[in-house]
Amino acid sequence: MEGEARKALSDLCRIYWRPIFAFICRRGYSVPDAQDLTQDFFVMLLEGNLLSLADPGRGRFRSLLLKALNNFLIDKHDQAKTKKRGGGMQFVSWNDWMAEAPSQLSVPAREFENWPAERIFDLRWAATVAEEALRRLAEECESRGRRRMFAVLSKYLTVDRLDVSYANLSASLGVPETAVKRLLHQLRGRFRTLLREEVSQTVKSPSEIEGEIRYLCAALATSADRVE
Amino acid sequence: MNFCGLTDSPASIVNEFERCRCGSVTRVGYGLCLSCLLRSGLCPEEPQTESFDAALAEIDVRDSEWRLGNYQILEEIGRGGMGVIYRARQRHSRRIVALKRILSYHSDSRDTLVRFQREAEAVASLDHPNILPIYEVGVSEDGLPFFSMKFAPGGSLLHGRKVFRDEPRQAVRLIAKVARAIEYANNEGILHRDLKPGNILLDGRGEPLVGDFGLAKWIDATSDLTRTMTVFGTPGYVAPEQVNGPAGNLTPAVDVYSLGAILFELLSGQPPFLGEHAIVVIHQAAEKPAPKLRSIVPRLDRDLETICARCLERDPAMRYRTAGDLAEDLERWLEDRPIIARPVLPPVRLWRWSRRNPKLAGSIAACLILAAVGLVEKVASSRLSAILQRVEIAQRSVAVTSFEDLDEISTTSNSARSMTSAFTAALTQAKGIQLSATPHQIAEDVDPWRTEDWKRIGESGNARMVLSGSVRRREGKQRVAIHLIETATGSVVSTWLQDGESDSDIAKALTTKISDVVADTKVTSGDAGAIVGRGDRKRDAIGETNNSLARSYCDRGKEFFLRYNLADLDRAIESFRKAVEIDSNYAVAYAMLGSACQARAQTDPTHDWLAEADAATAIALRIAPMLPEAHRARAGTLRRHGQLRASLDSFLTVYELEPAPWRSAALLGDTYEQVGRPDLALRWFEKASRRQTQPLFADNLGNAWTSLGDYDEAEKAYRTAIIFKPDLPVGLLGLSRLALFRGDYKGARKECEQAQAKYKDNPEVLEMAALIEFFSRHFPAAEKLYREAAAIDRAGGAEFAGSVRYLSAIGFIQELSGVHAKEGKALLEEARWLDEKELLSAPDNLRHLYSLAANYAAQGNGEAAAVCLDKAIAAGWIDYRSMMLDPRFDSIRDDEIFQNALGRLISKVQEMRQPRASATQPPTPTEITPTP
Repeated sequence: MEGEARKALSDLCRIYWRPIFAFICRRGYSVPDAQDLTQDFFVMLLEGNLLSLADPGRGRFRSLLLKALNNFLIDKHDQAKTKKRGGGMQFVSWNDWMAEAPSQLSVPAREFENWPAERIFDLRWAATVAEEALRRLAEECESRGRRRMFAVLSKYLTVDRLDVSYANLSASLGVPETAVKRLLHQLRGRFRTLLREEVSQTVKSPSEIEGEIRYLCAALATSADRVE
Repeated sequence: MNFCGLTDSPASIVNEFERCRCGSVTRVGYGLCLSCLLRSGLCPEEPQTESFDAALAEIDVRDSEWRLGNYQILEEIGRGGMGVIYRARQRHSRRIVALKRILSYHSDSRDTLVRFQREAEAVASLDHPNILPIYEVGVSEDGLPFFSMKFAPGGSLLHGRKVFRDEPRQAVRLIAKVARAIEYANNEGILHRDLKPGNILLDGRGEPLVGDFGLAKWIDATSDLTRTMTVFGTPGYVAPEQVNGPAGNLTPAVDVYSLGAILFELLSGQPPFLGEHAIVVIHQAAEKPAPKLRSIVPRLDRDLETICARCLERDPAMRYRTAGDLAEDLERWLEDRPIIARPVLPPVRLWRWSRRNPKLAGSIAACLILAAVGLVEKVASSRLSAILQRVEIAQRSVAVTSFEDLDEISTTSNSARSMTSAFTAALTQAKGIQLSATPHQIAEDVDPWRTEDWKRIGESGNARMVLSGSVRRREGKQRVAIHLIETATGSVVSTWLQDGESDSDIAKALTTKISDVVADTKVTSGDAGAIVGRGDRKRDAIGETNNSLARSYCDRGKEFFLRYNLADLDRAIESFRKAVEIDSNYAVAYAMLGSACQARAQTDPTHDWLAEADAATAIALRIAPMLPEAHRARAGTLRRHGQLRASLDSFLTVYELEPAPWRSAALLGDTYEQVGRPDLALRWFEKASRRQTQPLFADNLGNAWTSLGDYDEAEKAYRTAIIFKPDLPVGLLGLSRLALFRGDYKGARKECEQAQAKYKDNPEVLEMAALIEFFSRHFPAAEKLYREAAAIDRAGGAEFAGSVRYLSAIGFIQELSGVHAKEGKALLEEARWLDEKELLSAPDNLRHLYSLAANYAAQGNGEAAAVCLDKAIAAGWIDYRSMMLDPRFDSIRDDEIFQNALGRLISKVQEMRQPRASATQPPTPTEITPTP
């Protein structure tokens, strides 16, 4: 695999390890086993020709990955159980990755108890996309020396304008209300851009972005959701 | 853990959720609704009047507050009593850390800050995989300290604890790691003092990281509680002594307590002490014993309950001494090995006093109880398959080990050798049995009661079964007991008792039975490849019940029995009664009932208890004559009746029937000591103590050595007892008595005073003090002390060393004084009657015979005294030293009869010493002349 493609793929692994890990855990593997398998899966991806991003006809990255993962687990299951694990390089740095990009996904246990692994995968994928976009937005603010501002304003990214108390935020940030409005507006716009950028990394062409987002939204729907 | 991977921390799996306006229930960081976030990507792009950069640059919202030292704060991740915790990035290395900022702290002086920093730096020097590393300690611009540490992505146990409710092994594994970390820190001189779930963090792989060492004391938390009580530590996890005592007295035991509380909570879902207010919780922890783990989660392992209980003892000296000891026991549990924390109580003489805080006297009953409750060790099944694969075990081969002669306590006596040969011969000729190539001779130091040893013997002899047996003389015949043990599992397949005249007859008879069993047993392939024999099931089923309700009553009774105090003993009796009510064939429960009632009779010497004990025991024996518990119960009741010699036979039967009889050995030792055979007692105790890592029987050994006259060995043993049994005065009292026998009254008093200081209100100590004064003829002092003793237990004294009945001593002193001669006479009469009464039900009880003799002498009735003395000696009395010191014998001391008796005793003791004589021992016991 060429160097650039490899780098791109390894970046994707760093970002999207959670859906893979969650899927494997949901399939009943213990945490240590799931960690090892995730690691093995990545190694296989990076070394192999399993995925060819250049092939347009083959579908979105997310679903390709899931298929590959399924096959991977089937193969693993067939192999002798006595095969020794570990002993290779640690590719996945769990602690570092989780520290750099922690996830605060919070789910009600009841809702997802009976979901099959594929749906868990999709849910986790959706959360990852959103959280990655958030993370990049936070970093952009940080590099401009505005991290605190981000921390204060980020909770209002999706809140209806009518529910935002500009007065409080103004006091908290020490800037006039008009400034708060502008900042929030900027943040929302920037987030949208980043989110679409993130999705675009995993689809073939920009025309598929909307479709993928819709798919992910649908993936979240639970029986508890009210249809608006 | 169903949702690992889906969320970073179990805290994020919620039960309550706040629904977003859009109707969705999933949220990500900053409380944002995931669905709304995603859908914002679908909105049409809004026109922007300026670029993002420009917009941000224009507004002056600086990050200065969010920079501490070299760190850029990213977001807040929590707030604790101490201050705020952030996720932060180290500016130059880009490393992600957790940053803790102390918002309010005791800053009354610069000194405090310096000390805080120093302490934080000491903690920062700790380097252990399960200790959260501290990277840097600094002070912010506004003078508030902060420190940076490793970021733990998995959150803390505070939120993660519910996950362990159904995963006890995970919980134990985790706490074991934490305990090892604490051990390391303690060894570096740092106590944590504030261990709680919130301080145990989890990394990305689920490994525990302990944080916040010893820093709690620097923090003036805002709660009123800490201000008023200056308690540091979190109620619920803080050890009671942290509340009560000055900080200078704290030991690693405080961390052990906290670890126990955390483990308790992980396993049961709630901390040991709950309460609405912290003060309530703290008081409860200091006043009441901790609840038992299985009272909340009955299905948990008993060993786990024991471990928790030992951590949560109110008295720090009763806990595991260090976190490392706790870690070891947890690791043992994980490996299915027996844990060390088991409540083991030593055998000490039976007492008849009761105390204000009614804890049963540490008595021989303890051994009865513990052995009865059957704390049998689990077989390490994980090694089985390895063994089976490794060793080719011939199906029908049997290895014979040397028989043990129980009368001589030897495997090399004539009797033992003869029986061993007889069995070897019989098995050689038996059909269907292949005798292992060389009959395995056990060396004296191999302990065949341990599972590993059976396995070793079997494996080395390449035999599938091992035969182990004992022989003794009983009622004119030979009695043989044999166990057939499976090498692979180390478990006893069958046990038989057989009486007979000749060795070969017995051997032949039993060989037939052995053949049957060997032929019958089939190999089954269970998980561990265990070999199950028909005899196995039969053995387990002896005296047991099929009724699960009855079974649980009995189990419950055993739990109560083990706790060893009056209230719980009553509960135990209740439980056993219920068990037999449900199943009238439940021999084990009957036997336990017998033992419990017998123990109860100790502090409540009304006739009813013993009658019930006798009845229950008789039923147990009738239903299951091969049940060791039944014989143990019988032995106990016989002892209670004072029929010591009769109890010997029962104890020996218990020993014969038990697969791992070290406690029976201890009981036998004690009984032999009571009947005047300290030489045999010593051997039994030595047998029993081979099994234990700590010298449990040190004081009993000391008593036996004292009786034999080897004072040097006795002194060594008592000193060992002082160290290893600090909760009992036996060591000091032993030394005191030793001094007395050496004629050193001053020394005796000194040891006794030490005991008095350490063990306040202990009636044994009081008795010894009185004895010293009595034997040294300080009568007014003696009388005062004996009166005190009699106030506690009027009928006491005859069973203590020297056998001086309180009333007899007081009576003697009063009569001697002349002033109160009448009262003295009356008391002597009463004393006499008390002994006569005891002798009615146990006519060969040597103590009461001796006590009676001394009393007769006190009354001036020399003839009666002599007769009783003879009887006493015939029954086994050998304490001639007390005879020589006891003032009551003054009236007959010069009589020929008395001198004769003395001489006989001295020779008897010397004879008992002969086989053990070594170069360091003096050839004759030192004679003592009483000094006024």
